[in-house]
Amino acid sequence: MGLRYVQPAPGFKQYLPKDYVDLIDFGPFGKEVDASQIGQFKEILEEHPMCAGCWMAYFVRVFYASLPNPEDTIVLGTAGCARLALSQAAVPFIYGNYGDTNAVASGLTRALNLRFPDKQKDVIAIAGDGGLMDIGFSMTMHSWFRKEKFTTIMVDNEVYGNTGGQESGMSPKGVQLKMAPKGKKFDKLPATELAKLAGCVYVVKIAPTNIKRLSKVIKRAILAARHFGPTFIHAYTSCNIEYSIPTEEVLRDAREREKKDFGFEEYMTDEVKAFFEEIEKKKKEVKA
Amino acid sequence: MYYVARVDEEKCATYNCKQCTLFCPEANTLMFDERKNAAYVNEPRCKGCALCVYVCSDLLKRDCITMEMVTTE
Repeated sequence: MGLRYVQPAPGFKQYLPKDYVDLIDFGPFGKEVDASQIGQFKEILEEHPMCAGCWMAYFVRVFYASLPNPEDTIVLGTAGCARLALSQAAVPFIYGNYGDTNAVASGLTRALNLRFPDKQKDVIAIAGDGGLMDIGFSMTMHSWFRKEKFTTIMVDNEVYGNTGGQESGMSPKGVQLKMAPKGKKFDKLPATELAKLAGCVYVVKIAPTNIKRLSKVIKRAILAARHFGPTFIHAYTSCNIEYSIPTEEVLRDAREREKKDFGFEEYMTDEVKAFFEEIEKKKKEVKA
Repeated sequence: MYYVARVDEEKCATYNCKQCTLFCPEANTLMFDERKNAAYVNEPRCKGCALCVYVCSDLLKRDCITMEMVTTE
């Protein structure tokens, strides 16, 4: 891993596929790119089979554009929609058994600390509501209890979208789905509250409608996880197929949900807050 | 036959705006050309969701993007 891993040997560049060469010449490796510049540089995410207009695909796109250090990052995923795109990027991707992302990430973080004690490697577990809050619930919670230093991101589409529309623990109360025609009888799990109780040092609830804010939050979650402990992002990424949202109205739906029940919430411990303040102070000094 | 977005580059160039590129769910698809000061679509990658049309026409009222049927030869 690292930058040298990405660079081709001299003389071989002309034989490599165009997408790879573009990635070296115009990609984000070794540079500081801002997610609000997407569309103006070659992104590390490639073509993937997620549905047209999928808001989770959009989240994954912004996520990969926001990585502070893509050449030293490992992403973990589990069965579900998100991994269809997560695996199609120029970042190492680990695909475990269903729901074990946080258990694998715990071991991986420790192993990387032993193998590369002088380098900072970012480990990010990113899975859906089923992978983290239903089937992988115990492993998610226990990684937080153990204060494992990596980032967990939940892309919450409020349904098992890949398998025909079964209700999940994160589906809102009363919602009727294709495989749950009677309507859900229980409340949506309070994921961010659970994360705070379990000891996450940085917890965010967000609907991806503002790219600058989203990218800032992702960067902060990764930076905080390097030094302090587990961090968690709960993002609303609607399923336009199972919730029958016309593709062109996916953004409108995200904005409506943001006003209704997915308003931006950011929680951090005092030491994390002091850490971010210091970083921002340094940035201002550099600018001045 | 495919349903893809097409940008009216002349019209787009009159605005100083990159908003549609920020909301496309596909990577490396709706790109911005700095020389022309206009967005363009990498058509083989476009899935035809029309989110860019919502951003350009409904939110910004600029109407630079239309959805079109294309056939491959």
